[in-house]
Amino acid sequence: MLERIFIFLFLPSVLAAQLCKPDAPEGFKVRLSIKTALQDEAYEWDGNERFLFQATLAFAMSRHTRQEFNVSNILVCDETPRVSFWFVVTSPDDPSQLINRGKVEAAVRMSRNRINSAFLLSDETLEFVGILPTLAAPVEPASPPWLIVFGVVMGLVGAGIVFLLVSTVLQKRRKKNQEGDEGDDDEEARVKTAENGCRSDGIYNTSFSEDEPNTQM
Amino acid sequence: MLVLEGVPLFYLELAIGQKMRLGSIGAWTAISPYLGGLGLASVVTSLYLCLYYNIINAWSFWYLFHSFQSVLPWAACPLNANRTGPSEECERATPTQYFFYRETLNISPSIEENGGIHTGQALCFLLAWVITYLFIVRGVKSTGKVVYFTATFPYVVLFIYLIRGFTLHGAINGIKYMFTPKMEELANPTTWINAATQIFFSLGLGFGSLIAFASYNQYHNNFERQAIIVSLINSGTSIFSSVVTFAIYGFKATVNYENCLERTRILLLNTFSLSEDSITIDNVFERIVELNTTHPEQFAELNGKLEDCNLESELSTAVEGTGLAFIVYSEAIKNMPLSQLWSVLYFIMLLMLGMGSMLGNITAIITPLRDFKVLSCISTEVFNGIVCFICLLLGLGFTTTSGNYWFTMFNDYGATFSLLFIVLIEVITVSYIYGIKRFERDIEDMLGHRPNWYWKIMWAGVSPLLLIGLFLFYIINYIQGGTPTYQAWNKDLGKSEQIEYPLFGQAFIGLLLASSVSCVPLTALYVFCQRRKHAQRHMQQHTVNTVAA
Repeated sequence: MLERIFIFLFLPSVLAAQLCKPDAPEGFKVRLSIKTALQDEAYEWDGNERFLFQATLAFAMSRHTRQEFNVSNILVCDETPRVSFWFVVTSPDDPSQLINRGKVEAAVRMSRNRINSAFLLSDETLEFVGILPTLAAPVEPASPPWLIVFGVVMGLVGAGIVFLLVSTVLQKRRKKNQEGDEGDDDEEARVKTAENGCRSDGIYNTSFSEDEPNTQM
Repeated sequence: MLVLEGVPLFYLELAIGQKMRLGSIGAWTAISPYLGGLGLASVVTSLYLCLYYNIINAWSFWYLFHSFQSVLPWAACPLNANRTGPSEECERATPTQYFFYRETLNISPSIEENGGIHTGQALCFLLAWVITYLFIVRGVKSTGKVVYFTATFPYVVLFIYLIRGFTLHGAINGIKYMFTPKMEELANPTTWINAATQIFFSLGLGFGSLIAFASYNQYHNNFERQAIIVSLINSGTSIFSSVVTFAIYGFKATVNYENCLERTRILLLNTFSLSEDSITIDNVFERIVELNTTHPEQFAELNGKLEDCNLESELSTAVEGTGLAFIVYSEAIKNMPLSQLWSVLYFIMLLMLGMGSMLGNITAIITPLRDFKVLSCISTEVFNGIVCFICLLLGLGFTTTSGNYWFTMFNDYGATFSLLFIVLIEVITVSYIYGIKRFERDIEDMLGHRPNWYWKIMWAGVSPLLLIGLFLFYIINYIQGGTPTYQAWNKDLGKSEQIEYPLFGQAFIGLLLASSVSCVPLTALYVFCQRRKHAQRHMQQHTVNTVAA
């Protein structure tokens, strides 16, 4: 009788030990980096924190499968000073049955940010080894911002060119009108630029050229 | 290099331009008709430079426009299709490299594979050319005013960056690295060749732009003083900007090193399941040794994943050229607080510098072309517009997916060899064919005093010898180097690898080198034939005349 009582008492923990072990087929490894995330405000990992973990995971499973999960259905083992451990989830109907790995993964994925905020951690500091986080979609504005800036700059430059060209044309027209009155005397002897066009070459004096059409005497 | 090559040659080119008052083709033809080819070679080299240089400005515009976002696009990797993590290519390389090679260039795996034109790049390229046109539309008059701003603003930005750089964590490492001379590098002649070409590029020797600009000077302008001042300022600026660069570089290397240490620390913590505060960044290395002795089997499993974190190797990842400006610097900028501001400042500075260089290159082409009577009848605006438009069309090839490889080819081979050759012939021509005595008299005519013995020794002796030495080294290096290679971006590995140029690539390199250099002998031959024909015709005429009389 006494042996039976003993066996009954130890059976759950023995079972638990058998169900939950490192590299369990339906288990997941969890790693927390509390000190990295919170530095001075880091809390110690103790039994209460473990209880919170079991509770949040039970919440996640219940939410996903719409079955009622209890804290005792989440088995935690192999805790290390790193603060990492393994856990498995047992079925509420039959404590010796483990819930499929895929279902657990889906449940964790669904409630990931609830679990994270329960521990004041993030996707990087609360790691479920093997479950990749779903990253937030990048914010994409309707029109790419660079095109807007490009359009502004291009518009300004285009306006500048048009302004310069128009002012040059107007200047030339004004000069032509003035030249008709005054005569041709813009020599610009000081700075010779190549912009005077064809007229800067001067008048070609043929008396010194070699190829004369006339014959020599 | 500056003292032996830079300043004397700078002085020489300014003197020629101011005396002859013509662009490079006209100036050399005036010195000796057989040497018109020298000016032509300069024009061809400047043309190549014009074609490929503006693509750098296009990239600067692209980065500048993309800086106006809340998170800089090169700070984080874009997500892959499932949104489970960053995209694979970005994961293997760094986000800055990914942004440059994939989003900016959309680079193909090799020079043979060609995709379409990258529209964003093409738009920025168009903008770069439109702005260049805006600056030169009125000719040198408008260029002169623009340069006041484009030359001074970079100093302001550099100064701001100097202060920011020195207050950054880890900048001292970079400065220390810069000032420790590396004896093995100094003994390597390639370093000196690079120094010489850098001086030529930096001062603008051999491109014809100096002759072009000097031809607009007044006849009695004191260019001797200007030559010395400009060269000294130029080198001073180089040293100043390299101090800033190395400070920022030291910051980037330190940040990378510390990230590496952090990753190693986490790896150790996870593998050995130790408590978080048992390993800190400072004692990572001691703990590695400790753990190796206490848990050798577990440690052996780590072997593949343990990175070798070394500050020296981070500092030595020497990247140069376009890589430095766009990849390394943007990586440093993304780590600074208020990174958008620093990014905008930096790329505006790059743009100012790039635009200033483009102005010199374009003027070096336009001025000699305008000396031809046929083309001088077209108005300035239209002519400049036509030149810009042709360069734009030809340069669109650099915006394709393999464009970066063509760009590297032009960058490495388009200018260096021709510059050395042109400058060598210039010095020999002026010293021996034109004559040092005649040159001295011209300078006395313009300045009022003769150049002193230092200049004469440089022009007649030291510079030509040094240049011949460099020239021979370059040729020997090229022949010994075997087939030329280039860095191709491998998207599966996430890094660049060396590939040999295909046959058409090597042929094109040969064409680039030969086209500018061969202008000199070909023009000389052409002028020689013209003269002989002319002399024959003249003699025939004389005989006809005497017979008639």
